[in-house]
Amino acid sequence: MLFKIAWRNIWRNRTRSVVVIASVAVGLFAGMFMMAFFQGAINQEIQSTVETQLSHIQFHNPAFIADKDVNFTIGDGPAIIGRLKKDAGVKAVSGRLVTTGMISSSSTAAGVEIHGVVAEDEKAVSTISKDIIEGSYFTGKKNEIVIGEKLAIKLGVKLHNKIVLTFQSKTGDLTAGSFRIAGIFRSRNSAFDQTTVFTGFDDLAALLGTGNGIHEIAVMLKDGQKTDAFDRTLKKEYPNLLVQTWTELSPQMALLTGIMDQMMYIIIGIILLALMFGIINTMLMAVLERQREFGMLMAIGMNKPRVFFMILLESVMLTCAGIPRRDLVHHYHRWFAFKARDRSFGILAGIVAIRFQQYYLPGPAKVYVPAGIINDGLYRCFIGHIPRNKSTKI
Amino acid sequence: MSHIIESHNLSKVYNPDTIPVNAVNGVNLQVEEGEFTALVGPSGSGKTTLLNLIGGLDYPTGGSVKIEGVDITQMKENKLIDFRLKNIGFVFQAYNLIPVLTASENVEFVMLLQKTAKKEREQRAVELLTEVGLKDKLNKRPSELSGGQQQRVAVARALASKPRFILADEPTANLDSKSTENLLEIMAKLNVEDKMTFIFSTHDQRVIDKARRVVTLVDGKIVSDVKQ
Repeated sequence: MLFKIAWRNIWRNRTRSVVVIASVAVGLFAGMFMMAFFQGAINQEIQSTVETQLSHIQFHNPAFIADKDVNFTIGDGPAIIGRLKKDAGVKAVSGRLVTTGMISSSSTAAGVEIHGVVAEDEKAVSTISKDIIEGSYFTGKKNEIVIGEKLAIKLGVKLHNKIVLTFQSKTGDLTAGSFRIAGIFRSRNSAFDQTTVFTGFDDLAALLGTGNGIHEIAVMLKDGQKTDAFDRTLKKEYPNLLVQTWTELSPQMALLTGIMDQMMYIIIGIILLALMFGIINTMLMAVLERQREFGMLMAIGMNKPRVFFMILLESVMLTCAGIPRRDLVHHYHRWFAFKARDRSFGILAGIVAIRFQQYYLPGPAKVYVPAGIINDGLYRCFIGHIPRNKSTKI
Repeated sequence: MSHIIESHNLSKVYNPDTIPVNAVNGVNLQVEEGEFTALVGPSGSGKTTLLNLIGGLDYPTGGSVKIEGVDITQMKENKLIDFRLKNIGFVFQAYNLIPVLTASENVEFVMLLQKTAKKEREQRAVELLTEVGLKDKLNKRPSELSGGQQQRVAVARALASKPRFILADEPTANLDSKSTENLLEIMAKLNVEDKMTFIFSTHDQRVIDKARRVVTLVDGKIVSDVKQ
């Protein structure tokens, strides 16, 4: 019956309770949306970087990272690729040649990183093939090259134009090759577009003289959350190779995630603090208005702990009445996220973030909702402490 | 008959450090089981204060109050609340029903505090409300009842905990004459048939006429104690 009394007491002053509930719902939703929005932005950036450049895990010869000499290939690279492709947890594997050189057109030249790739393998590992805006991602002809849009503009070249790549071969000689532009891509990272070009693996290997040698093995997993576990296994299996996760390859990305998390906690803390004062104010008013009633309750035999509990219940119920409203909106956004095709930065980044967060969060997303309710309920227990203290001093 | 209530040299002084007011001044009072006693006197004579002290709603400055031999003035607050729950019923001037509960739920509430089983609570609530003539108002909230009806619900609630006695502070003050008459009839009936002890504080002559014992207070002291 205490639950009944507490629930009915909330609705004694309908207007006031509706205002408080609405403020809780809007406040929590605003906080959630902000978190999702910024998380979405970060996650989008991470996802883009992972899918475009880094992959979940990369293999290198340890000496290659320090000195990008083309001689430092991965020992038995093709065998490693073969073993990884058979692993149930691996989505795709691609072996690459990587070297630095110059790209030249008739008008200008630029320094670039040249990636020699097997088109079919690379398509599964990287999303560059989906970012093609002109031409195609290799047609199978010899000496094809795929370059970024920014680089094409800088070089003053168009689709099907020829460019020259100049670089150092295995023997240390300066080697050049003429390539025809098969495709132009535009990724989310314009710096990447301007400094990275892709050629066929065999075409680059022929010019470098590396034969079957591979400089880099990129691995995409079926479940990104298992990256660390996979990394540990592979490091044990290949102690002579440098096996790195994307966080090790790009520590600044990991740092960005950490900073955003801290920032979000602070922002949410501020929002909750503001809401807390609103709730405390409302509950204090409710308590002070009912001094006679509490006195009567204690007169007829209701002890202080029970009075405490009744006020606490009202406080928690008032909050919980606001939570489902927020989560209705939250659920709507999640449903919408599954339907959304547009993954551009902006307001839908938040929706994508919620979807992306479900992908990265440990456990099913539906656990997220009850956890939110529990967290808020506990927080409201704390809020109820002040009004209920007041009630028992009456 | 045994004394249910005994007060010995009971005193209550308000504002002892500034302007002391002797609300109750050395009151010795014994009440037996089955009495129908009215405390009368002018405003400020100490009637309500005496009732509060007897009911354990306040602590005296001096003296003692024993309820069936138990000195309640030495009890700690939580134990006193529990004692009140089990032994004393209250009827207030302003009814003081819980506004969000129905008549039946208000009566059940006291039994809930006593941890009575649900079925028993519901049954007894219906019985009590029937006894006070409100069988058809079980599901009405206080706002849907007249003053007299609310006060009858308050009487039913006071009886719900099976108290040793009932304290009523000006129970008819806010009632019209018909409601007052009804209420007094109910209380008199309970007193005669169930031997329920009632102690009223009142200005109402109709209540005084119904009472079998009239204790008159002036300036916190008993000036007369008449059985009629």
